[in-house]
Amino acid sequence: MEKKFNLKNILTSIAIGIYFGVILTESQAVSWYRIQEMFYFKSFHMFGLLGSAIATGAISLWIIKKLKIKSINHNPIEVKDKPFQWKANFGGGVLFGLGWGLTGACSAPLFISIGLDWKIGLILLVGALIGTYLYALLKDKIPH
Amino acid sequence: MKEPLAWYIAGPLIGLVVPILLILKEKQFGVSSNYRYIISKFTKNPAYFNYNNNSDGWQFSFAIGLVIVGIFYQLSGYEINGIAKLDQIDTYIATTEFYNLKNWAIFFFGGILIGFGGRWSNGCTAGHCIMGMSQLSKTSFIATIAFFIGGLIATYFIIPYLF
Repeated sequence: MEKKFNLKNILTSIAIGIYFGVILTESQAVSWYRIQEMFYFKSFHMFGLLGSAIATGAISLWIIKKLKIKSINHNPIEVKDKPFQWKANFGGGVLFGLGWGLTGACSAPLFISIGLDWKIGLILLVGALIGTYLYALLKDKIPH
Repeated sequence: MKEPLAWYIAGPLIGLVVPILLILKEKQFGVSSNYRYIISKFTKNPAYFNYNNNSDGWQFSFAIGLVIVGIFYQLSGYEINGIAKLDQIDTYIATTEFYNLKNWAIFFFGGILIGFGGRWSNGCTAGHCIMGMSQLSKTSFIATIAFFIGGLIATYFIIPYLF
Protein backbone atom coordinates (compact mmCIF):
# COMPACT_ATOMS: atom_id res chain seq x y z
CA MET A 1 0.00 0.00 0.00
CA GLU A 2 0.98 3.54 -0.59
CA LYS A 3 2.19 5.41 2.46
CA LYS A 4 1.09 8.95 3.09
CA PHE A 5 3.69 11.62 2.31
CA ASN A 6 6.25 9.32 0.78
CA LEU A 7 8.61 11.54 -1.19
CA LYS A 8 9.64 8.79 -3.59
CA ASN A 9 6.01 8.04 -4.39
CA ILE A 10 5.26 11.71 -4.98
CA LEU A 11 8.31 12.20 -7.20
CA THR A 12 7.42 9.10 -9.24
CA SER A 13 3.93 10.50 -9.89
CA ILE A 14 5.32 13.92 -10.78
CA ALA A 15 7.80 12.28 -13.19
CA ILE A 16 5.02 10.29 -14.90
CA GLY A 17 3.01 13.54 -15.13
CA ILE A 18 5.98 15.28 -16.76
CA TYR A 19 6.37 12.38 -19.23
CA PHE A 20 2.69 12.51 -20.15
CA GLY A 21 2.62 16.31 -20.33
CA VAL A 22 5.63 16.54 -22.64
CA ILE A 23 4.09 14.07 -25.10
CA LEU A 24 0.71 15.82 -25.00
CA THR A 25 2.37 19.17 -25.66
CA GLU A 26 4.76 17.91 -28.34
CA SER A 27 1.89 16.16 -30.13
CA GLN A 28 -0.15 19.39 -29.72
CA ALA A 29 -3.06 17.55 -28.11
CA VAL A 30 -3.13 20.54 -25.74
CA SER A 31 -3.98 22.86 -28.63
CA TRP A 32 -7.45 24.33 -29.07
CA TYR A 33 -6.90 24.21 -32.83
CA ARG A 34 -5.99 20.52 -32.88
CA ILE A 35 -9.18 19.71 -31.00
CA GLN A 36 -11.23 21.86 -33.41
CA GLU A 37 -9.49 20.22 -36.35
CA MET A 38 -10.45 16.84 -34.91
CA PHE A 39 -14.11 17.76 -34.49
CA TYR A 40 -14.15 19.13 -38.05
CA PHE A 41 -12.58 15.84 -39.25
CA LYS A 42 -9.94 17.88 -41.05
CA SER A 43 -6.96 15.93 -39.87
CA PHE A 44 -6.22 12.36 -38.91
CA HIS A 45 -3.70 13.50 -36.29
CA MET A 46 -5.87 13.37 -33.14
CA PHE A 47 -7.67 10.21 -34.24
CA GLY A 48 -4.35 8.50 -34.92
CA LEU A 49 -3.08 9.74 -31.57
CA LEU A 50 -6.04 8.43 -29.59
CA GLY A 51 -6.36 5.21 -31.62
CA SER A 52 -2.72 4.23 -31.31
CA ALA A 53 -2.70 5.19 -27.61
CA ILE A 54 -5.68 2.90 -26.99
CA ALA A 55 -4.12 0.08 -29.05
CA THR A 56 -0.87 0.40 -27.08
CA GLY A 57 -2.77 0.45 -23.78
CA ALA A 58 -4.82 -2.60 -24.76
CA ILE A 59 -1.77 -4.59 -25.91
CA SER A 60 0.07 -3.62 -22.71
CA LEU A 61 -2.84 -4.83 -20.56
CA TRP A 62 -2.95 -8.07 -22.53
CA ILE A 63 0.79 -8.63 -22.00
CA ILE A 64 0.51 -7.80 -18.28
CA LYS A 65 -2.30 -10.33 -17.93
CA LYS A 66 -0.70 -13.00 -20.10
CA LEU A 67 2.72 -12.85 -18.45
CA LYS A 68 1.24 -12.12 -14.99
CA ILE A 69 3.57 -9.14 -14.68
CA LYS A 70 3.80 -7.86 -11.13
CA SER A 71 4.06 -4.29 -9.93
CA ILE A 72 7.34 -2.82 -8.72
CA ASN A 73 6.24 -3.74 -5.18
CA HIS A 74 5.75 -7.38 -6.27
CA ASN A 75 1.96 -7.20 -6.09
CA PRO A 76 -0.25 -8.77 -8.72
CA ILE A 77 -1.67 -6.13 -11.05
CA GLU A 78 -5.45 -5.90 -10.92
CA VAL A 79 -7.42 -3.90 -13.44
CA LYS A 80 -10.95 -3.03 -12.38
CA ASP A 81 -13.78 -1.91 -14.62
CA LYS A 82 -15.56 1.29 -13.70
CA PRO A 83 -19.20 0.65 -12.67
CA PHE A 84 -21.59 0.43 -15.62
CA GLN A 85 -23.90 3.45 -15.31
CA TRP A 86 -24.94 4.20 -18.85
CA LYS A 87 -27.12 7.21 -18.00
CA ALA A 88 -24.31 8.87 -16.09
CA ASN A 89 -21.64 7.80 -18.59
CA PHE A 90 -23.71 9.19 -21.44
CA GLY A 91 -25.19 12.30 -19.80
CA GLY A 92 -21.94 13.27 -18.10
CA GLY A 93 -20.04 12.35 -21.23
CA VAL A 94 -22.04 14.73 -23.43
CA LEU A 95 -21.59 17.59 -20.92
CA PHE A 96 -17.88 16.85 -20.67
CA GLY A 97 -17.66 16.76 -24.47
CA LEU A 98 -19.36 20.16 -24.68
CA GLY A 99 -16.73 21.56 -22.33
CA TRP A 100 -13.98 19.83 -24.30
CA GLY A 101 -15.24 21.28 -27.59
CA LEU A 102 -15.75 24.76 -26.18
CA THR A 103 -12.41 25.11 -24.41
CA GLY A 104 -10.27 22.68 -26.39
CA ALA A 105 -9.08 21.24 -23.10
CA CYS A 106 -9.80 18.00 -21.34
CA SER A 107 -8.50 17.29 -17.88
CA ALA A 108 -4.78 16.75 -18.53
CA PRO A 109 -4.40 19.71 -20.95
CA LEU A 110 -6.31 21.77 -18.38
CA PHE A 111 -3.47 21.29 -15.90
CA ILE A 112 -0.81 21.88 -18.58
CA SER A 113 -2.56 25.12 -19.52
CA ILE A 114 -2.18 26.36 -15.93
CA GLY A 115 1.57 26.37 -16.57
CA LEU A 116 1.33 27.52 -20.20
CA ASP A 117 -1.02 30.41 -19.57
CA TRP A 118 -2.07 30.68 -15.94
CA LYS A 119 -4.94 33.08 -16.65
CA ILE A 120 -6.73 30.63 -18.95
CA GLY A 121 -5.64 27.64 -16.89
CA LEU A 122 -6.89 28.95 -13.56
CA ILE A 123 -10.23 30.06 -15.01
CA LEU A 124 -10.62 26.53 -16.38
CA LEU A 125 -9.61 24.93 -13.09
CA VAL A 126 -11.91 27.14 -11.00
CA GLY A 127 -14.72 26.32 -13.43
CA ALA A 128 -14.00 22.59 -13.20
CA LEU A 129 -13.94 22.72 -9.39
CA ILE A 130 -17.26 24.60 -9.33
CA GLY A 131 -18.65 22.02 -11.77
CA THR A 132 -17.49 19.20 -9.50
CA TYR A 133 -19.06 20.91 -6.50
CA LEU A 134 -22.34 21.32 -8.39
CA TYR A 135 -22.19 17.63 -9.28
CA ALA A 136 -21.73 16.74 -5.61
CA LEU A 137 -24.78 18.84 -4.72
CA LEU A 138 -26.96 17.34 -7.46
CA LYS A 139 -25.56 13.80 -7.40
CA ASP A 140 -28.64 12.20 -5.83
CA LYS A 141 -31.07 14.07 -8.08
CA ILE A 142 -29.60 13.10 -11.46
CA PRO A 143 -29.73 9.63 -13.05
CA HIS A 144 -26.82 7.24 -12.72
CA MET B 1 4.20 26.46 -38.09
CA LYS B 2 5.84 23.79 -36.01
CA GLU B 3 4.72 20.31 -36.93
CA PRO B 4 3.40 18.19 -34.09
CA LEU B 5 5.19 15.05 -33.00
CA ALA B 6 3.79 12.39 -35.35
CA TRP B 7 0.77 10.54 -34.03
CA TYR B 8 2.32 7.12 -34.61
CA ILE B 9 5.12 8.06 -32.23
CA ALA B 10 3.16 10.15 -29.72
CA GLY B 11 0.11 7.87 -29.56
CA PRO B 12 1.99 4.74 -28.43
CA LEU B 13 4.00 6.85 -25.96
CA ILE B 14 0.69 8.13 -24.52
CA GLY B 15 -0.66 4.58 -24.35
CA LEU B 16 2.43 3.46 -22.41
CA VAL B 17 1.23 5.57 -19.48
CA VAL B 18 -1.27 2.76 -18.81
CA PRO B 19 1.31 0.01 -18.02
CA ILE B 20 3.77 2.52 -16.49
CA LEU B 21 1.17 3.57 -13.89
CA LEU B 22 0.07 0.01 -13.21
CA ILE B 23 3.61 -1.25 -12.72
CA LEU B 24 5.12 1.70 -10.85
CA LYS B 25 2.04 2.90 -8.93
CA GLU B 26 -0.55 0.11 -9.11
CA LYS B 27 -2.95 2.78 -10.37
CA GLN B 28 -5.38 2.91 -13.27
CA PHE B 29 -4.88 5.97 -15.41
CA GLY B 30 -7.21 8.91 -14.85
CA VAL B 31 -6.95 12.66 -14.33
CA SER B 32 -10.37 14.05 -13.45
CA SER B 33 -10.54 12.55 -9.93
CA ASN B 34 -8.24 15.46 -9.16
CA TYR B 35 -11.20 17.82 -8.93
CA ARG B 36 -12.85 15.69 -6.25
CA TYR B 37 -9.51 15.23 -4.51
CA ILE B 38 -8.70 18.96 -4.43
CA ILE B 39 -12.11 19.90 -3.00
CA SER B 40 -11.96 17.05 -0.45
CA LYS B 41 -8.84 18.73 0.96
CA PHE B 42 -10.98 21.75 1.88
CA THR B 43 -14.38 20.36 2.73
CA LYS B 44 -16.07 17.03 3.39
CA ASN B 45 -19.51 18.41 2.47
CA PRO B 46 -21.49 17.31 0.46
CA ALA B 47 -20.82 13.65 1.34
CA TYR B 48 -19.29 13.09 -2.13
CA PHE B 49 -16.13 14.72 -0.79
CA ASN B 50 -16.08 12.63 2.38
CA TYR B 51 -14.12 9.70 1.02
CA ASN B 52 -10.77 8.04 1.46
CA ASN B 53 -8.87 10.49 -0.72
CA ASN B 54 -5.45 8.87 -0.15
CA SER B 55 -6.06 6.64 -3.15
CA ASP B 56 -6.34 9.69 -5.43
CA GLY B 57 -3.31 11.53 -4.02
CA TRP B 58 -1.06 10.28 -6.82
CA GLN B 59 -3.29 12.08 -9.36
CA PHE B 60 -2.56 15.39 -7.69
CA SER B 61 1.21 14.80 -7.91
CA PHE B 62 0.70 13.71 -11.52
CA ALA B 63 -1.14 17.00 -12.19
CA ILE B 64 1.74 18.93 -10.58
CA GLY B 65 3.95 17.25 -13.18
CA LEU B 66 1.60 18.49 -15.92
CA VAL B 67 1.72 22.05 -14.55
CA ILE B 68 5.54 21.89 -14.46
CA VAL B 69 5.53 20.89 -18.14
CA GLY B 70 3.29 23.87 -18.92
CA ILE B 71 5.61 26.26 -17.08
CA PHE B 72 8.62 24.80 -18.88
CA TYR B 73 7.07 25.28 -22.32
CA GLN B 74 5.81 28.74 -21.41
CA LEU B 75 9.34 29.77 -20.38
CA SER B 76 10.73 28.39 -23.62
CA GLY B 77 8.36 30.57 -25.63
CA TYR B 78 5.63 28.09 -26.55
CA GLU B 79 2.35 29.82 -27.24
CA ILE B 80 -0.84 28.00 -26.41
CA ASN B 81 -2.81 30.11 -28.88
CA GLY B 82 -0.36 30.11 -31.71
CA ILE B 83 0.25 26.49 -32.43
CA ALA B 84 -1.60 25.92 -35.67
CA LYS B 85 -2.10 28.27 -38.57
CA LEU B 86 -5.55 29.76 -38.34
CA ASP B 87 -6.43 29.59 -42.02
CA GLN B 88 -6.05 25.84 -42.04
CA ILE B 89 -9.19 25.27 -40.06
CA ASP B 90 -12.48 27.03 -39.69
CA THR B 91 -11.80 28.55 -36.39
CA TYR B 92 -13.36 31.51 -34.75
CA ILE B 93 -11.94 32.11 -31.33
CA ALA B 94 -8.62 33.51 -32.52
CA THR B 95 -10.18 36.00 -34.87
CA THR B 96 -11.21 38.05 -31.90
CA GLU B 97 -9.02 39.45 -29.18
CA PHE B 98 -8.26 36.40 -27.07
CA TYR B 99 -8.40 38.02 -23.67
CA ASN B 100 -11.85 39.48 -23.70
CA LEU B 101 -14.79 39.01 -21.42
CA LYS B 102 -16.57 36.68 -23.83
CA ASN B 103 -13.61 34.31 -24.00
CA TRP B 104 -13.26 34.38 -20.23
CA ALA B 105 -16.92 33.40 -19.93
CA ILE B 106 -16.51 30.58 -22.48
CA PHE B 107 -13.55 29.15 -20.60
CA PHE B 108 -15.31 29.51 -17.27
CA PHE B 109 -18.52 27.78 -18.38
CA GLY B 110 -16.53 25.25 -20.37
CA GLY B 111 -14.59 24.49 -17.18
CA ILE B 112 -17.84 23.96 -15.27
CA LEU B 113 -19.00 21.50 -17.96
CA ILE B 114 -15.65 19.68 -17.80
CA GLY B 115 -15.87 19.34 -14.01
CA PHE B 116 -19.57 18.46 -13.82
CA GLY B 117 -19.56 16.17 -16.85
CA GLY B 118 -16.26 14.53 -15.96
CA ARG B 119 -17.47 13.57 -12.50
CA TRP B 120 -20.97 12.56 -13.61
CA SER B 121 -19.58 10.27 -16.31
CA ASN B 122 -17.05 9.01 -13.75
CA GLY B 123 -14.04 9.68 -15.93
CA CYS B 124 -12.60 11.91 -18.63
CA THR B 125 -10.60 11.41 -21.81
CA ALA B 126 -7.81 9.84 -19.75
CA GLY B 127 -9.86 7.45 -17.60
CA HIS B 128 -12.45 6.54 -20.23
CA CYS B 129 -10.94 7.10 -23.72
CA ILE B 130 -7.44 5.85 -22.96
CA MET B 131 -7.64 3.60 -19.87
CA GLY B 132 -11.21 2.34 -20.20
CA MET B 133 -11.05 1.74 -23.96
CA SER B 134 -7.77 -0.14 -23.44
CA GLN B 135 -9.72 -2.41 -21.08
CA LEU B 136 -12.39 -2.73 -23.82
CA SER B 137 -14.90 -1.56 -21.21
CA LYS B 138 -18.50 -1.03 -22.28
CA THR B 139 -18.82 1.84 -19.81
CA SER B 140 -15.93 3.70 -21.37
CA PHE B 141 -17.16 3.02 -24.89
CA ILE B 142 -20.44 4.78 -24.06
CA ALA B 143 -18.58 7.65 -22.38
CA THR B 144 -16.19 8.07 -25.32
CA ILE B 145 -19.07 8.20 -27.82
CA ALA B 146 -20.76 10.77 -25.57
CA PHE B 147 -17.57 12.90 -25.37
CA PHE B 148 -17.55 13.10 -29.16
CA ILE B 149 -21.26 13.88 -29.37
CA GLY B 150 -20.75 16.75 -26.91
CA GLY B 151 -17.66 17.95 -28.74
CA LEU B 152 -19.41 17.88 -32.11
CA ILE B 153 -22.40 19.80 -30.74
CA ALA B 154 -20.06 22.44 -29.32
CA THR B 155 -18.09 22.65 -32.56
CA TYR B 156 -20.97 22.82 -35.05
CA PHE B 157 -23.83 24.31 -33.07
CA ILE B 158 -22.34 26.52 -30.35
CA ILE B 159 -18.94 27.92 -31.34
CA PRO B 160 -20.09 29.26 -34.77
CA TYR B 161 -22.79 31.29 -33.01
CA LEU B 162 -20.47 32.63 -30.33
CA PHE B 163 -18.17 34.47 -32.73
